[in-house]
Amino acid sequence: MKLLIVEDQAKTGQYLRQGLSEAGFTTELAADGITGQHLALTGDYSLLILDVMLPGRDGWQILQAVRSAGLDMPVLFLTARDAVEDRVHGLELGADDYLVKPFAFSELLARVRSLLRRGSSTTQETHLQLADLRLDLIRRRVERNGQRIDLTAKEFALLELLMRRQGEVLPKSLIASQVWDMNFDSDTNVIEVAIRRLRLKIDDSHEHKLIHTVRGMGYVLEERAP
Amino acid sequence: MIRRLSLSSRLALLFAGCTAVVSLFAGVLFGRASEVHFVELDQQLMESRLTVLRDTLQGADTLESFTRRLPALLLHLNQQPDLTVRVRGPDGHLWFDSAPSLPEQLAVRPGLGSLQINGIDYRVLNPIPDTQNAPRLTLLLDITHHQHFLQRMQHLIWMTVGLSALATAILGAWAARSGLRPLRRMSAIAASVSADSLNARLHQQQMPAELAELASAFNAMLERLDDSFQRLSAFSADIAHELRTPLSNLLTHTQVTLTRPRGIDEYREALHSNLEELQWMAQLVNDMLYLAKADHGLLTPRREPLDLGREVDALLEFYALLAEDSQIALTREGDGQIAGDRSMLRRALSNLLDNALRYTPGGGAIKVLIEETASHVRISIENTGAGIAAELLPRLFDRFYRADPARREGSSEHAGLGLAITQSIIRAHGGQIRCEAQEGVTRFVLELPTIKAGST
Repeated sequence: MKLLIVEDQAKTGQYLRQGLSEAGFTTELAADGITGQHLALTGDYSLLILDVMLPGRDGWQILQAVRSAGLDMPVLFLTARDAVEDRVHGLELGADDYLVKPFAFSELLARVRSLLRRGSSTTQETHLQLADLRLDLIRRRVERNGQRIDLTAKEFALLELLMRRQGEVLPKSLIASQVWDMNFDSDTNVIEVAIRRLRLKIDDSHEHKLIHTVRGMGYVLEERAP
Repeated sequence: MIRRLSLSSRLALLFAGCTAVVSLFAGVLFGRASEVHFVELDQQLMESRLTVLRDTLQGADTLESFTRRLPALLLHLNQQPDLTVRVRGPDGHLWFDSAPSLPEQLAVRPGLGSLQINGIDYRVLNPIPDTQNAPRLTLLLDITHHQHFLQRMQHLIWMTVGLSALATAILGAWAARSGLRPLRRMSAIAASVSADSLNARLHQQQMPAELAELASAFNAMLERLDDSFQRLSAFSADIAHELRTPLSNLLTHTQVTLTRPRGIDEYREALHSNLEELQWMAQLVNDMLYLAKADHGLLTPRREPLDLGREVDALLEFYALLAEDSQIALTREGDGQIAGDRSMLRRALSNLLDNALRYTPGGGAIKVLIEETASHVRISIENTGAGIAAELLPRLFDRFYRADPARREGSSEHAGLGLAITQSIIRAHGGQIRCEAQEGVTRFVLELPTIKAGST
């Protein structure tokens, strides 16, 4: 997975690159619009992360050039501008997502993964499994270590999300949006309570914990070495 | 040019104009009256003289008999130097003329008239003879002195008109200036208003009735300016304060961490702690930007038809776990339709529910009531609990305002912007929000226009 970041602010670009590289992506960084556009058109990238305000050519111009060259990789905009018209403009030109600075890196990572997943054809899964935890998507059943666990519909949706994106740190805002369809910056501790309840059913009676809190960033479902 | 004239000058000119018109009218009227009066006087005089002349010339049917009476006539005429008499026989022959210098033929009509010959004004009486044979008399009375008098009077009138106009202009200017003194006082105060002196006010009691309304409007404007300005400066101060706390935490913590080498766990802990502060600051900045957008009218909600019952249920489901934790009952009653922006309204309502959950004691209840009227949909969010003191209600929607000053500083809650954001969203939808508090119950009431009312 090769990503291109076009960002003129050196520090932001460098941190983004480091973060995405450490998350397992190959990244390249361009610091101005002209280099960015050249790379975007010639390199074979799976996804572009574009700043709107760039020296040389702005993010929208790059996007236009990319789309008119027939390239259809997902494009995610990063910008400090938060006008509705900007957002609409970007999406009209064929941007796939939009993040307004300041954003949480975990949020960016989650969106990048969503965008990359969108393209790949997912085979209709019937089961999800992690260690001894098993989700039956058709019968809506959960078992751990062979024992059946009763979950409410929302708990099941939450666990399904965590299972599908195991190993990824999911920020609270993403969970609220995916499970409850609440797309606002909410700082309530609803998600904490929901995770706590899910843990009570999934993890508490087991020595081997699967749901982990990444402080300040979100939650992740993964098997960790004891 | 007229536009630029001062009010005092305008009033003075108007006064002067009015006076001139009135005095001119009076003068013309008086002149006419005296002229008529003089004509009457002349007529009386000439008629009385005519009687005497007729007596003198009684029976003078022929030139001879007239000649006999001529000495008596001349005697009579000598006593009246201003009178000129012409006598003609019944056949029209001139028998006698006391002033032959006048032209022989005078354009005279029967009855009373006036003539000007050689610069001298005459009143002419040309009476109808008593009998067929009586001589025809023409009397001319020198009225120069009357005309002089009338001319003098006309001069006097013009002078009066001019002088009185001038006098009223001057007096009017003075009167207008003193009459407009309250206005100047007002402008002096207006001119002195600056950011530091928004507390200056006009004394309404001292203002004349016409200006009282303006003064009260002016005072109200100052009041609003003062209020907005106070809020604005309080807002800036609050922003600085809110940002200073996490910033100073960040600075201190980072500096302390870097003073000497530490274990990896300590570094991790420091970064986590910094992350929390930073997230809090990012949230604050985002909220402030949102409010700034609302202030500039950039918050333009979409207008999709929304089933409020469903929206509220979705939110209640979201908060259900939290409520269950503190054994708070969440219920909804009623339903309604509006045209609005789903995510904005969810945000607005979630702030209120969040707030309610925070202040409802364990075992309490939160009730959402939706009522639909002809023009509005009213959503009431009611929670049990200590309630909010009445004097705090108006400030509840102020930015950074917290009903309980003890809560705060570094807590992960909204920095007191939640209700302000809710208010902005409701207003952007053309609605209203208020808070009512009674003993043991706090109720936030939202009124939003219905689809029909909203679309017109």
